[in-house]
Amino acid sequence: MKNIFYSLALLSCVACSSGHKPDELAFEQSLDSANSSGPIVDPELIGGILGQIPSPLEISALLKASGTRYDRRFLNAPRNHEKYNTSYKQALNLGVYGTDLGYTNIYEQNLDGIKYLSSIKLLAEDLNIGQFFDLETIGRLAVNSNNLDSLLLLTTQNFNSINNYLQTQNRANLSVLLLIGGWIEAMDITCQVASLDESNKQLHETIGSQKIILEQIMLLLSFYEHDASISALMADFRELESAYESIDITYTYQASTMEIVDGIAVIKDNSTTTINITERDIAAIRNHTNIIRNKIIS
Amino acid sequence: MKSLLRYFLSIAILTISVQVANAQCNPDELVNSSVTGLPGGYNFLKSYKIDGEPDLEKIEFSYVLTRGTSYILTLRDRNKDLGTVVTLFDSQRNKVATNKIGSQLASALSFPCNATGIYYIQYTFDPGYMRCGGAALGFKR
Repeated sequence: MKNIFYSLALLSCVACSSGHKPDELAFEQSLDSANSSGPIVDPELIGGILGQIPSPLEISALLKASGTRYDRRFLNAPRNHEKYNTSYKQALNLGVYGTDLGYTNIYEQNLDGIKYLSSIKLLAEDLNIGQFFDLETIGRLAVNSNNLDSLLLLTTQNFNSINNYLQTQNRANLSVLLLIGGWIEAMDITCQVASLDESNKQLHETIGSQKIILEQIMLLLSFYEHDASISALMADFRELESAYESIDITYTYQASTMEIVDGIAVIKDNSTTTINITERDIAAIRNHTNIIRNKIIS
Repeated sequence: MKSLLRYFLSIAILTISVQVANAQCNPDELVNSSVTGLPGGYNFLKSYKIDGEPDLEKIEFSYVLTRGTSYILTLRDRNKDLGTVVTLFDSQRNKVATNKIGSQLASALSFPCNATGIYYIQYTFDPGYMRCGGAALGFKR
């Protein structure tokens, strides 16, 4: 019964938005506070950095694999989308909701997932990129857990397409915000879970390893520092960066061994990384992450 | 003289046809094929268009791989037999994986990552092969 209700809600949402077409002018006008007026950054450079940031889906999969239970209280409430009325907030929270959707998908909480999809669709429409979400298809996949792989594939492809589209529109600043929103939400969920399970060394290591990603995020933010909103965001991220300062990541290379098995090159990676992170580091990171995340979703 | 002319003519036709084939590289369907070629249990992460124009010797992307995660990269190209070589380098440019082992080229690369960091995924092409393909990266925990 619930499935039918959500399907109908979803279909009505699709019906309302089906006449919407991407409009370059509207798209430009929507870029109010996130509008870029500073020096033009090489789109290939931005695209290259954006492309190397891992999907938040990887962290959700880690949480599930480590035996952590699904908890929707970790997520940003779908109804909050109404609060986001600048493209800066919309782009950041589109990223946040993207991570939340991935989290619900990984845990096969499809009914929650549909609520996030609806919010994502509305935010995407506000940013004039709603054309990337065919809610009818996604909704059909979401109501049946057998379609989990297809659902994950489709939503991941949609977010990749949005990133590519924004970059071709010379609005990679929104793409950067989308990515940052997604990353900070994944970080916040991980930190919350880690605080509930302090013995989980794997989660601590995951939090520590995000130092590598944070370096790339700081680089991306630096390209748009002339934008007042992004400059303020960067100041918050500098606090987080300082919390990461004492974390030491040591990499040791050792040649891999490789063989072809059933047509697949199977690699045994003999290199290692050692991440030195203390409880105190975790607490500081959790605190700064939570401050940034709460500012973003407020 | 005639046979010499015929020889040069056939070389020219071959060269032009390879260049035309490259110019018409439409990697989208190869990308889709590589995505659907991801084995069960793996989640799709990213796809890569490999469009090497005649003078492009290598195409490179970077990605942060995470320790404890198993990655797989599936590869398709326009050649009858695969002619695209994928090589994975770490941030210090050490070679950590390839689909070319001896003279064999595998259409997928399985990499259980043991060291978190930035990696470079580089595509090169065996001589005489079309430089047009698609790849998909997937992961599982």
